[in-house]
Amino acid sequence: MKKIVYFFIATLALASVAYAAESQIWGEMRIPNILGYGQEQSLKLGEFFTLWQGHYITTIFLGILILIPTVFGIHYLIIGPKTFSHEGKKILAFSLYSRIVHQIAAISFIVIVPTGFIMVFGSFFGGGEFVRICKDLHGVFTIPFAIVVIPMFLMWVKDMFIHLDDIKWLIIVGGYLSKVKNPVPAGRFNAGQKTWYWLATLGGIVMIATGATMFFMDFDIAMVKNITGLSQIDTLRAAAILHNLVGFAVVILFFVHIYMAVFAIKGAVQSIITGYMEEEEVKILHSSWYRKLKKQGKV
Amino acid sequence: MDYARMKFYCDEHRCIECDGCSVACAEAHELPVGISRRKVVTINEGIEGKEFSTSIACMHCTDAPCEQVCPVDCFYIREDGIVLHDKDKCIGCGYCLYACPFGAPQFPRDGAFGAKGAMDKCTMCAGGPLETNSKHERELYGQNRIAEGKVPVCAAMCSTKALLVGDAESIANIYRTRVSARGHGTVGVPYGWDKAYTK
Repeated sequence: MKKIVYFFIATLALASVAYAAESQIWGEMRIPNILGYGQEQSLKLGEFFTLWQGHYITTIFLGILILIPTVFGIHYLIIGPKTFSHEGKKILAFSLYSRIVHQIAAISFIVIVPTGFIMVFGSFFGGGEFVRICKDLHGVFTIPFAIVVIPMFLMWVKDMFIHLDDIKWLIIVGGYLSKVKNPVPAGRFNAGQKTWYWLATLGGIVMIATGATMFFMDFDIAMVKNITGLSQIDTLRAAAILHNLVGFAVVILFFVHIYMAVFAIKGAVQSIITGYMEEEEVKILHSSWYRKLKKQGKV
Repeated sequence: MDYARMKFYCDEHRCIECDGCSVACAEAHELPVGISRRKVVTINEGIEGKEFSTSIACMHCTDAPCEQVCPVDCFYIREDGIVLHDKDKCIGCGYCLYACPFGAPQFPRDGAFGAKGAMDKCTMCAGGPLETNSKHERELYGQNRIAEGKVPVCAAMCSTKALLVGDAESIANIYRTRVSARGHGTVGVPYGWDKAYTK
């Protein structure tokens, strides 16, 4: 609760700093912004943004939205889901704390991702009130995610560093290309989960930072200027480009994450709800972790 | 039917930085505090021989970048080149500002949670997509002087006639006449036109 209060105060403080300062876009800075636009020695972010946003971003998102579910559909039809006995013993995989943190992030993503898509395809929805509400929800649901992203990073980080198992896992694509239930080389988290973890936490922080930049828009924070070395208008352009590029990756892996948890492994989603994984599931999909638990006498 | 191509031109040899255009615009359209569709800027301030003032607003660019990037397609370009937008469609994302070479689009903070409201910019006094000269159009976009056959208020009020607006050919003719009358300088592309109208 304290954290939420602090976050709120910090946000308001940031907002007031932003609005109290001389405008970085329409004030005196407007002159160098105009003079610098399209100059040879500049980064040409204005033109680059116009080209990307005008021609490619919507198409790429549409491609992702069609292609990824299609690939999953084919995978589901040809290889099908993995099913593990839900009758056997269960292993505690996620503590109550990690489940709560995960669920807050999950709820945020369930709102943020579709509302983001609605904005990308805003013209399809005709703009106006509906897309405007989605834009507001996209921002509001960033707040719970921003609160849990660092706790989520910290609670799993020790299990997320690369391991020899991960390379083996990647070579066989986690065993998802075969119907056979052979033990898959993976510790507590497999290479796929690790990739998603790093993208959701570090990439998530990039998404929060770039999104907040666009939301607050006209602010003057020396630290931001020192880090980026850009004028405010170019910072906004870079933020929009980055938000979309990292967005591609986040959206793809978010879809993968949902497919794995809900469809590809029957009942896998239960483990993040109850905290318990089926023993057989651990034995096959997280064989190295299973061996370790066995050695420790925990199973 | 052939339409004229409407353009803005501000003669930096004549602009005296009086801010009349900006005040006239704000008053005519009853703009809220914090929004100025037109702004007078001084470039190279203090550098002798290089200092000049000019008036900037939306230039109503050819192949307008704002129109290209808008995710809800709220922009539309009239046959005469005037770039307008639909505030009822606009979601206030800010993308048009990022694309604009002139920093023209502005955003009042009147949305939910202090979010950016619908974008506001110069309409070349041509209103918006609502019924011409309706109360609703006037409230959202300001006066529609073009529909009444009047010159946009900024250019009409310019005391030195530095700020001109009209069809491209007439503006170019005045520009050429002025340059040759001064007896120095070359007839190049008027300031700002390279970014707005070269495509």
